[in-house]
Amino acid sequence: MTEQDVIELIDASLAEEFELDRADMTPEANIYADLGLDSLDTVDMVIVLEGAFDFKIREEEAIRAIRTLGDIHRFVYAKVVENS
Amino acid sequence: MQAVTDSHRSTDNSRDCWPLLLLMNLWCYSLLLLWTLCGILVFPFAFAVCLLFTRRSADRLVRWFIWLYGRGWMLLMRPFVQFRREQLEQIEVGKPYLFVINHLSFFDTYCMAMLPVHDVTFAVRSWPFRMFWYSGFMRLARYLDVEGSSWDETLSNCRCAFVAGGTVLFFPEGHRSRDGQLQRFYSGGFKAAISTGVPLVPLCIDGTDRLLPPGRKLLRPCRITLRALPPIDTSAFDSADGHLRLRKLVKEQMGVALAEIRGEIN
Repeated sequence: MTEQDVIELIDASLAEEFELDRADMTPEANIYADLGLDSLDTVDMVIVLEGAFDFKIREEEAIRAIRTLGDIHRFVYAKVVENS
Repeated sequence: MQAVTDSHRSTDNSRDCWPLLLLMNLWCYSLLLLWTLCGILVFPFAFAVCLLFTRRSADRLVRWFIWLYGRGWMLLMRPFVQFRREQLEQIEVGKPYLFVINHLSFFDTYCMAMLPVHDVTFAVRSWPFRMFWYSGFMRLARYLDVEGSSWDETLSNCRCAFVAGGTVLFFPEGHRSRDGQLQRFYSGGFKAAISTGVPLVPLCIDGTDRLLPPGRKLLRPCRITLRALPPIDTSAFDSADGHLRLRKLVKEQMGVALAEIRGEIN
């Protein structure tokens, strides 16, 4: 899976789950201020990403530091590389 | 195209007769102001008397007064607004439920007086608590500030309401819809229903966006419909992604019901 494939799968999964406009989903977009997610959504986001990539990340400390969509891309891609 | 149609539906005033609009706005706003002032003045005495002579808790009593206030509002709007209840007999009085409802107008909350139950704890964002003429009542009624509280607090307050046989109402969209269409649903209400194990009842409201859409001040005659969908047993959704499945199911059901109410499908 290339980095671009990972980004595409993340964006598609989050767009579907949270009914986000793909045009707003730039790497710089803040998941709270720009994409309108709330604290409960971040828990849902983890569930969605675990389902999409078939891994477990809910115990990862690094998730708490995520602020932008780019942070999610980097975090998930690192996990995919680590697991492959 | 659908959004355009619905936007047109809610803002089109070409069919309205201006003398009627003027009369309606003078009547409704002046009586609403009077009714609200009377309520504020009479409430402390009525509340004290009821507290002394009934066995209801203070917060439950306040919620009953708010329901009565809503009933009064319905009465004064009645010359210009037709209220239609559909399938509300599915709601058993005295049984705890978590309601979720679509959001079209400031007056949606007033329309909850159409419900057969008066013990309704509203779960709202922080801004309604900033309306100084209502905030005291909201706090006394122990309404839930879902934005200003932690999730654990919200859940604990929901549990308290259910244990006392009350109901809790969430607006899963969080904001009023600008085009009448359902917006994105947030998960809070669905998670709360599953965590507390109470049935979830989807409510669909239509017509309040014609009465007073967001960003407008002019009231217009309309018919308001409130429909209850069958209660959903939330025990079947007790898994990690259960609230996501429940949220999708409810949104789908509400979308179909709203289309039926609006005559878009049979």
